[in-house]
Amino acid sequence: MSFSRRLVLALGGGALATLVSPGRPWAGTVETVEMRGTARGERIWFEPRGLAVSSGTTIRFLNHDPGNSHTATAYHPSVLDRLRRIPKAAAPWDSDFLLPGQSFEVTLTAPGVYDFYCQPHEPMGMVGRIVVGTPETPGWEGPSADTTDIAADSLAVFPAVADILAKGRIGGA
Amino acid sequence: MRTALLLAAALFATASFAEDAATLEKSPPPAPYVQVSKALPLPEFIPGLGTLFVNPDTLPAGPFLAYDHDGKLSATIYMVPLEDLQGGKSFDGLAVGAPSVTSVDIYFNAGHAGVEKPHAHVVLFHDDGAKERLAK
Repeated sequence: MSFSRRLVLALGGGALATLVSPGRPWAGTVETVEMRGTARGERIWFEPRGLAVSSGTTIRFLNHDPGNSHTATAYHPSVLDRLRRIPKAAAPWDSDFLLPGQSFEVTLTAPGVYDFYCQPHEPMGMVGRIVVGTPETPGWEGPSADTTDIAADSLAVFPAVADILAKGRIGGA
Repeated sequence: MRTALLLAAALFATASFAEDAATLEKSPPPAPYVQVSKALPLPEFIPGLGTLFVNPDTLPAGPFLAYDHDGKLSATIYMVPLEDLQGGKSFDGLAVGAPSVTSVDIYFNAGHAGVEKPHAHVVLFHDDGAKERLAK
């Protein structure tokens, strides 16, 4: 069984003026971030864990782990009282638990860095980062500098923004 | 006389255990066991573990009773948080779903709904074909 839910985030000022960079998904396209795990659940991760997209790209979080449920949750005070790690102009999201085969979609428009996590598996490093636009994009907001609301091991999983922008996609395994 | 009493007690205990085991042999087991997938966001049949039932009072360790696609009790599973073990906690006298155990698998799990902390799965298979039936 498969179903999807869609949430379109509130737009930041001028966010509809889409900027497209070479090798980056065009606005209006859908990029998939899979939730994955080993057969016995020893390791779990987002694939990719780092992704660069253009404003207006829809991110589809798909649980591809046959033996576990996962969430894709934005770091934001309104969701489980976490410190914000997404652009101020963006609306937070929480997929709730997704069973195998289920998916959740969110469209990212405000330019900047979005960090997200899986609620039960964040302590095991199941986190990811999406970069929308580039630092040259008007209104672009860089990564959170906070190191107090997240474990050092999880923090280390986030790829550097420069690496994401250079490669476009960084694998999670 | 003492020997006779001990023998009688042993026979009673054996009969009582067999009766309990018989009630657990086919899915669903009686209350207080509940189906894990109906209480938590987990698949109804988890590859490698099967369809799980647990008495919530025994969480996190269990026992979890694991049934195959035909509803046959195939394994008894314990989920033991590593942090608890490191902290000196022990899990003693845990119940077993069936008296026959043909093999045991022990492995790490990063966590899932119901037992969120990293833990060990201790899987007692109750017959030679159980592992294959629970695989997928």
